[in-house]
Amino acid sequence: MRGHERDVISTGQPPWKSPVALSILMHGLVLGVALAGWSWSVPKDDPQPPSISARLVTQNEPEPSPVTEPVDQPDRDEERRQEEQEKQRQEEAERQKAEEEERARQEARRIKQEKEREQERQRQEEEARRKQEQQRQAEEEAARQKAEAEAKERERQKAEEEKRRQEEAARKAAEEKRRAEEQRKQEEAERKAREERERLEAERKRKERERRLQEQQLEALADEAQQQRESDERKRREAAAAKAREAQMLSESQKYQALIRERLSQAWYPPSSATEEMTARLQITLLPTGELASVKLVSSSGNTAFDNSALGAVKSLNRYPIPDDRDTFESYFRQFTIEFNPRRLR
Amino acid sequence: MTWVLAVAVMIGSSPASAELLIRITEGADSAIPVAVVPFSESGAMPSGDKISSIVQDDLTMTGEFRPLPAEKMLSLPAKGDDVYFRDWRMLGQRYVLVGQLTRRGDKVEARYELFDVNREQRIMGATASSSVNSTRSLAHHISDRVYEAITGVPGAFSTKLAYVTLERSGDEPLYRLQVSDVDGKRARVRLESDEPILSPAWSPDARKLAYVSFETGKPAIYIHELSTGNRTRVADYRGLNSAPAWSDDGRSLLVTLSKDGNAEIYKLDIESGSLKRLTNHWSIDTEPMWDHTGDGFYFTSDRSGGPQIYHKASEDAEPRRITFGSRYNARPRPDNDGKYVYYVHQRDKSFHIARTNLKTEEETVLTRTDSDESPSVAPNGRMLIYATKQGGNSVLTVIAADGGAAYSLPASKGDVREPAWSPIVR
Repeated sequence: MRGHERDVISTGQPPWKSPVALSILMHGLVLGVALAGWSWSVPKDDPQPPSISARLVTQNEPEPSPVTEPVDQPDRDEERRQEEQEKQRQEEAERQKAEEEERARQEARRIKQEKEREQERQRQEEEARRKQEQQRQAEEEAARQKAEAEAKERERQKAEEEKRRQEEAARKAAEEKRRAEEQRKQEEAERKAREERERLEAERKRKERERRLQEQQLEALADEAQQQRESDERKRREAAAAKAREAQMLSESQKYQALIRERLSQAWYPPSSATEEMTARLQITLLPTGELASVKLVSSSGNTAFDNSALGAVKSLNRYPIPDDRDTFESYFRQFTIEFNPRRLR
Repeated sequence: MTWVLAVAVMIGSSPASAELLIRITEGADSAIPVAVVPFSESGAMPSGDKISSIVQDDLTMTGEFRPLPAEKMLSLPAKGDDVYFRDWRMLGQRYVLVGQLTRRGDKVEARYELFDVNREQRIMGATASSSVNSTRSLAHHISDRVYEAITGVPGAFSTKLAYVTLERSGDEPLYRLQVSDVDGKRARVRLESDEPILSPAWSPDARKLAYVSFETGKPAIYIHELSTGNRTRVADYRGLNSAPAWSDDGRSLLVTLSKDGNAEIYKLDIESGSLKRLTNHWSIDTEPMWDHTGDGFYFTSDRSGGPQIYHKASEDAEPRRITFGSRYNARPRPDNDGKYVYYVHQRDKSFHIARTNLKTEEETVLTRTDSDESPSVAPNGRMLIYATKQGGNSVLTVIAADGGAAYSLPASKGDVREPAWSPIVR
């Protein structure tokens, strides 16, 4: 439709100019040819191809064409040329008798054609009127049609609009549907994605949990190891301290062992029956005050008097010399064994 | 973990778990504190020394005991119920002897108990009785029981001593063979002579004495039955007849005779009077004494130049020299268990009593006096009696067999010599 409108616009220049120029050119050309070979006689009244205008008209059918004027002007030229040609034909009548006839026929045909042309013109006028009418009608029709067309167009447009709307609606619906579908799909996808995310999240969380758990276990292990190390270290330190303490206690204990030995030696009266072979062992238990808690003969000498002398000696001490240090006491003097074995008797 | 284990092992093996052991290898140098509480008396008691005093002296004589004077006692219990150990412990006493004496007709009965103060135990309780006239015997009996209860060794307080005294009235010497208690009390003269009496020896049953008497102008060996006073001359050979020693069975004597020209040792069968020569050496062999086995004997011989102690393990064995410590060692007296032999030992011109440990061959000088002679070992081996000079007179001294405290017997007039300790008669 737009193309059509554009075509209309391009025919804005005078449409008749072009056929006129063409006709002038054509006449000039014929004249030239006649002058060059056959003088002026032969190319007479070269019938103009009405078809040109017709064609033009037809070509420009929709245009109200001012065809008459261009047709008039060539006609005058033609008459003048025909006079000249008449003269020429008289000069050469003989030779062209056949042609005269032909000419006559042609004349006749020309007249006829003239008539026909007149008729044609009239018809054309009629036709033009009719055409005008027709055109009016056509115009009316066109207007009507146009209106109709417009209406139709509107209708069509409307329909189109409608259709478009419907299409649009449909499209929209489709779109909607598609969107819905898409949305659904999207939602589905989102759901899936969400689910996937959630799954992943859950997985991640599970893994995180597991990792945390593992970490906790590792931490626990590490803690345990650390505690173990600390415990070991503590034990080692304690052992070292205990060792030092033991050494101290040992020297302390040796001092008191010597004191106890001295006191017991002074308190022991080996009986007359004692021999160097006799040995009595007594296990004694002391109170933290140094007092004797209990004494037990764990190994007899086989001689009652000897055993009794040992027991008497052990029991004769009111207080045993014991270290003030409680640990040393507990380690060495809480319970210990005394062996009575005279190395040398008097 | 290995070293943790090692630490554990180290801790486990700490001395704290190994029980402490203290060895006592030496006893007190001092005597055992013992309290002999004066016995309570019910009924009339004979005059004279109290039984508890005699017991106290007996224990003191051994050198092994140190009785607490009665005036230091906090209480005078007579029976166990009244003994407060705390008191005696406070006084540092080890043993407490309490007793009750009761007159029953012409007898005195003693109930006595011995307590171990530290162990707080009664270690003996017994009754004994004697005639009113022999309460010393009762006392010595109690001493024996107490001594044995404490020391594990039989007491020798009820044994006798035989010895010879010499008194001079003008130019006339008077020799007396006497027998007394071990504390010198109750001495009785068994033989008087103006000639020397030497070497009394107790028969194993303590009923007889063999001795050398010069009563005939020359030495001869006699056996004297104490209960009857009967005497038998068992050896009267030419020359020397000396140093009788009883065999364990009481059937024979070892004697020294010079009948063969030289002093040699013979075994004399008492009943048959037969002799068996046991030594044969150009030097003097004398002073024989059976060893504890009864198979061998010790004797003195100067075969090495001066007198030394020798031992023959059997009658036919080769003599083995025992003493080497000085140039003069004589009159061997072995104990009853073969541990020591005691003898007179000269050192730096002084004569002491010494002993040699037969196992270690270690010689120990036991006396601090000089001019010591005639040692005789108590039958329990715990005491030794010998003669020594004191103030110009010869006296008897009892010492602990290991050389401890000395106890001089109360001196009678004149010299006291040749002591012989009787065996224990069960």
